[in-house]
Amino acid sequence: MQIVQYLINGIALGSVYALISTGFSVIFNVLKFSNFSHGALMTLSAFIGYFIAAANGWGLVPTILVAVVAGSLIALLGEFVAFRRILIRNTSPIYFFVSSITLGTLYEGLVVLKVGANFHNYPRFFGKPIKWAGIVISQSDLIILCISAVALIVLAFIIQKTRIGRALRSVSFDRDTASLMGINVTRTIQFAFIVSGALAGLAGVFLGINYTLYPSLGSLVVKGFIASVIGGLGSLPGAVIGAMLLGIVETGLISIVGSGYMPVFTFVIMLVFLLVRPRGIAGSNIQEKA
Amino acid sequence: MATLKVEHIYKNFGGVKAIQDFSIEANPGQIHGIIGPNGAGKTTIFNVISGIYPADEGSVYLDGKDVTRMEQHRITLEGMGRTFQNIRLFKGLSVLDNVMCAFDPQSKYGVPGSLLPLGKRFAEEKRGRDICMNFLKMVGLEDYAKERPENMSYGHQRRLEIARALTCRPKVLLLDEPAAGLNPVEVGELTELIQRLSKDIGFVILLIEHRLELVMNISQFIHVQNFGKTIAVGTPAQVRSNPEVIEAYLGKEGG
Repeated sequence: MQIVQYLINGIALGSVYALISTGFSVIFNVLKFSNFSHGALMTLSAFIGYFIAAANGWGLVPTILVAVVAGSLIALLGEFVAFRRILIRNTSPIYFFVSSITLGTLYEGLVVLKVGANFHNYPRFFGKPIKWAGIVISQSDLIILCISAVALIVLAFIIQKTRIGRALRSVSFDRDTASLMGINVTRTIQFAFIVSGALAGLAGVFLGINYTLYPSLGSLVVKGFIASVIGGLGSLPGAVIGAMLLGIVETGLISIVGSGYMPVFTFVIMLVFLLVRPRGIAGSNIQEKA
Repeated sequence: MATLKVEHIYKNFGGVKAIQDFSIEANPGQIHGIIGPNGAGKTTIFNVISGIYPADEGSVYLDGKDVTRMEQHRITLEGMGRTFQNIRLFKGLSVLDNVMCAFDPQSKYGVPGSLLPLGKRFAEEKRGRDICMNFLKMVGLEDYAKERPENMSYGHQRRLEIARALTCRPKVLLLDEPAAGLNPVEVGELTELIQRLSKDIGFVILLIEHRLELVMNISQFIHVQNFGKTIAVGTPAQVRSNPEVIEAYLGKEGG
């Protein structure tokens, strides 16, 4: 039973990592750069959700909606301010890195301006844990898991089965050719940023629920990076699988070596993994672009 | 007004004069061949016409509309379809999805339809699949719809590029060396395909090709390029007997 308990906790933790890693991978997929502003965007939209909704006594769903809408709009604005010119001029990807780091610092700075270094707490959205056959599941874990799963399934469906999904995939393979087939590349990239921002908002609220809200909450994006590297950069299924593995490994490690040593072991495992299989579990189509 | 009218376009890359004063006027049903040695600026002409680079000078009109400085995807929607010298299919997408990408801009559902499973989306997806299967059938690839393009032969990949370009509903189809890398049988089939498309659809075809027998056979007009300049224009027979062309291009082959 103990194993089942770890698996459940691990998957619940992994589902939040999966939101982070897919949000991060959507942008990597389309623009081939690591969006370092993603973490700070999670924090910023989680705080917006807190101040507009949760602090006014609204429930979980309105808080999530506010954070998701805020995340999408800020990501859209960020694309225009920080990335559009670089994209049009087709300059080196290094500018994307610099731009995204700058943008992330700006987001975090905005949060610090408003809240200082203080911690904030979402109100208790959830009741008592559910016990069944010796397994304990907290309601927050269960609801986070369900909402994440729905969000990821909807995303998978959009990407596989709709014109916008095909446009995203074709633009990620070859931007110029997609444009010559009549696809509006700018629109498609904007859509990628909206999706990524919405996922950042959702992940931000869940992280806030799990760990309280503080300005450097976004540094947990590292878990998303790790998950997407393990899964294979740019591969969305890979990002989800990597995130689940990471969640399960972390939960297991906490019980084996304790929560103090857990991050150390996690990073060691990741480095070993990268040595053995540098392109990740599902990574294949990235090499060709290099 | 001609379907495609290119007026005195120029394009330089630094000191390299890739196109100097190229003009063309083409009407539906016509096939125009563009020939010339490597580096003569043939592909650059296609790239300027399809909007990859803006022309330094001159204009491109499609059905009377000035498309010279339009965005690439707008030009395609106005009726410009093309294939590529180095095949540029979307690897990782199925054959059908490759073609569907070209249909999608004509699809009549938008972002809401993509996010929510509305009836219109399913209707439009079905309409798109039917249209795309029809174009795949036209080039003889209907049995490969679920394959990945990278697993197909070179000849099939070239045909798939043509099907994808047809799905853009072009008024002008630009074919950039469609016979490169094909064996003689495949070249024969391709020749037949291009002639059939020209007759059935009745659009303008511009054809860049190194295989002279192919170009001379199917084109009504030939434009000979050398070092960015047009050195001769005319029917295949006229071009063949042009002394400047023989010296610059044909002469080398004939000995």
